[in-house]
Amino acid sequence: MNTKLKVSEISKIYPGCVANDKVSLEFGSGKIYALLGENGAGKSTLVKILSGVVKPDEGQVFLNNESIKLNSPLDAKKNNIGMVFQHFNLFETLSVFENLSIDSDKKNEDLRVLVNDILKKYNFKIELDIPVLNLSAGQKQKVEIIRCLIRNPKVLIMDEPTSVLTEQETDDLFISLKQFSKDGILIIYITHKLKEVLSLCDEVAVMRKGKVVSVSNTIDEKIESLANKMVGENINTIKKKINNFKNSKEILKISNLNFKSDDPYETNLNNLNLSLKKGECLGIAGISGNGQNELFQILSGEIITEGTSIMFRNKEIGKLNPRERREYLMAFSPEDRISQAAVPELKIYENVALNNFKSSNFFEKGLVNEKKIKEHSKKILSNFSVNTDNVELKSQFLSGGNLQKLIIGRELITSPELLVCFNPTWGLDVGAINYIHETLIQINEQGKSSILISTDNDELLKLSDRICVIYKGKLSKIMNADTVTAEKLGILMGGGSID
Amino acid sequence: MSFDLNFIGILIGAIMASSVPLILAASGELITERSGVLNLGVEGMMIIGAISGFALMVVTDNLFFAVIGSMLSGLIISLIFGLLTQSLLTNHVATGLALTIFGIGMSAMIGKNFVGIPGKEFPLLFINLKESIPFLGPIFFGHSIILYFAFGLPFLTNYFLKKTKTGLIIRAVGDSPTSASNQGINVTLVRYSCILYGGAMCGLAGAYLSLIYTPQWIENMTGGRGWIALALVVFATWSPIKVLIGALIFGGITILQLHMQAVGLRIPVQLLSALPYIMTIIVLVVISRDSRKIKLNTPTSLGQIFYKEK
Repeated sequence: MNTKLKVSEISKIYPGCVANDKVSLEFGSGKIYALLGENGAGKSTLVKILSGVVKPDEGQVFLNNESIKLNSPLDAKKNNIGMVFQHFNLFETLSVFENLSIDSDKKNEDLRVLVNDILKKYNFKIELDIPVLNLSAGQKQKVEIIRCLIRNPKVLIMDEPTSVLTEQETDDLFISLKQFSKDGILIIYITHKLKEVLSLCDEVAVMRKGKVVSVSNTIDEKIESLANKMVGENINTIKKKINNFKNSKEILKISNLNFKSDDPYETNLNNLNLSLKKGECLGIAGISGNGQNELFQILSGEIITEGTSIMFRNKEIGKLNPRERREYLMAFSPEDRISQAAVPELKIYENVALNNFKSSNFFEKGLVNEKKIKEHSKKILSNFSVNTDNVELKSQFLSGGNLQKLIIGRELITSPELLVCFNPTWGLDVGAINYIHETLIQINEQGKSSILISTDNDELLKLSDRICVIYKGKLSKIMNADTVTAEKLGILMGGGSID
Repeated sequence: MSFDLNFIGILIGAIMASSVPLILAASGELITERSGVLNLGVEGMMIIGAISGFALMVVTDNLFFAVIGSMLSGLIISLIFGLLTQSLLTNHVATGLALTIFGIGMSAMIGKNFVGIPGKEFPLLFINLKESIPFLGPIFFGHSIILYFAFGLPFLTNYFLKKTKTGLIIRAVGDSPTSASNQGINVTLVRYSCILYGGAMCGLAGAYLSLIYTPQWIENMTGGRGWIALALVVFATWSPIKVLIGALIFGGITILQLHMQAVGLRIPVQLLSALPYIMTIIVLVVISRDSRKIKLNTPTSLGQIFYKEK
């Protein structure tokens, strides 16, 4: 059965921002379509319109040449449009089966049979009666997909589906999506990752600033051509020089560090050993949830450790809290920009002040020295190309990329000897990623060290001098980056071994 | 005082009776909270229920109308809370506190004319069996119909939340209103319904006090039971059965410490009076230690204002 989906002249205006500007696109079943664009290009708005979450100000949607009204998510479901959001719409405390049954009209017994059929057909392995919060990100996504499949979708929309997946999970997802496409489901794939477009999709529409700027067959495109269309200017790719650190000074040493957590949702760390030289970048790869959080917290001082297991510039720092560690010239950029690194409700300069040192004199006699903090903040904004000079702006109004620049800037402006960052480019667009990567390379060139904990293997291979993998709380052997390939990392991340 | 079996039976019966308002109010609030709404107005809704029930009994001379009326008045008061928090998106905590203050003041004003009027005898069921069977008689028989209802309610609530589709939807809304809304669930409607149900149960809890437990109107007669009910829900980690256990412990120790005071034990009265609060918290904390279960039962969105993207 053929399905045709057409959006015609769709416009949606938010206060101060045209999210969609007369967007017209056509899709037909049997193909996988990519909708490509930077963050804020209007992809997500278009997708929300197609799934009935947001109403367009103007324009129409046609399914098989009939105009359809999408006033609510229910309407989208009625028209067999399935949607997997970037941020999962699952109920974490309910079981997998409860999540599936909540919007199904079928009897529980019938639904179970149907779900088991789907699991078998697409070779998904998911237990149905455990709470969703026990699932990995990849499994959660499968639950979302199954929820769509139950309703025999004609159209399946995937919004940035790989942002939380590992390489292996991504491969699995692509296999499934190709299978769905073969089964006649029209697939619209939203992403800002260029590689994925080329390896998965048949056609690609590029959006920029709310407009569709190009529609083409992916075979006619290359990474560079797509990147330029997406950003609207030429991007130069950066590459790191290979350095030799044999004779450099050791700056950080962790020996035989163990961490046992009381929380069943945390990962225990076993016998960690690592050392870091001056000017070096150590990459730590791994599937999220294998102990990266705990490792970051141990490095940052959110978790205090006993004894002499962490030495930084020949000092024991295991018992120091994050503030004290910063005084010793360590700096940290946590994974979650909004809840860990910055307070979104606070103004930019207030967020800057959170990171205060004795030497910075932000506070005098218990009073806030606003002038000083604001000057300092202005310096960060201009030195790190944050696209505002208004230090009174609330941080929540910064885009992800600009917020990350602010956070990295706040950490680096005191010229620390070591920067520990955790997924610094998660969810950012190409331009911002490039900027952050350049900055990270720069600090190494200035002789400062960095530890990069990341789930993005391309980023790790690009920036690290040495790489290791964390798996179930254990670190693999540390390897020189030029001997490591994405395949090797993939094997180690899945718990395999290489020689 | 003799410690014969029959006396213990009567004691247990009294404990059960004293825990009824807690069970009713806490069960109602539990449903409200499971949908993600934190209504701190329990005390206010209870006292409004108590005065409306009593006033209607005096005016209509009909206990049935009085009970139904108390539930309706609890429901109407909670509707104010619903309008404010769900439609006008006010803060749950502040609105709930205001509701309690409003309820206490309002009930005192209405109640002025009803002070000192004797209550009407509420029909008790199986009164013969109570007297003819020793020990078990006073435990199981001779209670009002509301007590039987109250003791069935936690089990019904448990079944409702775990086994029915509506229960599932309420839990889903409490877990993540945004996800629920994206699934096409009308979050506002679900939350309104849960608020109204909670209000009606609090109204009934109040009526139990003014019509059955101490059949008369006294200003401020709920005496903080609404707050205890609220605390029970949290300490019972949103499990209806644990609410029942907690209410019984609280009622039990309240009655027991009264007897201990009467016997004249050499323990400071203040300490004895504090005992029910301390013991209830200790017991509930101990039986609810499983952090995994707490995580699964806790409504993640509790107290969060939900508004739909337009």
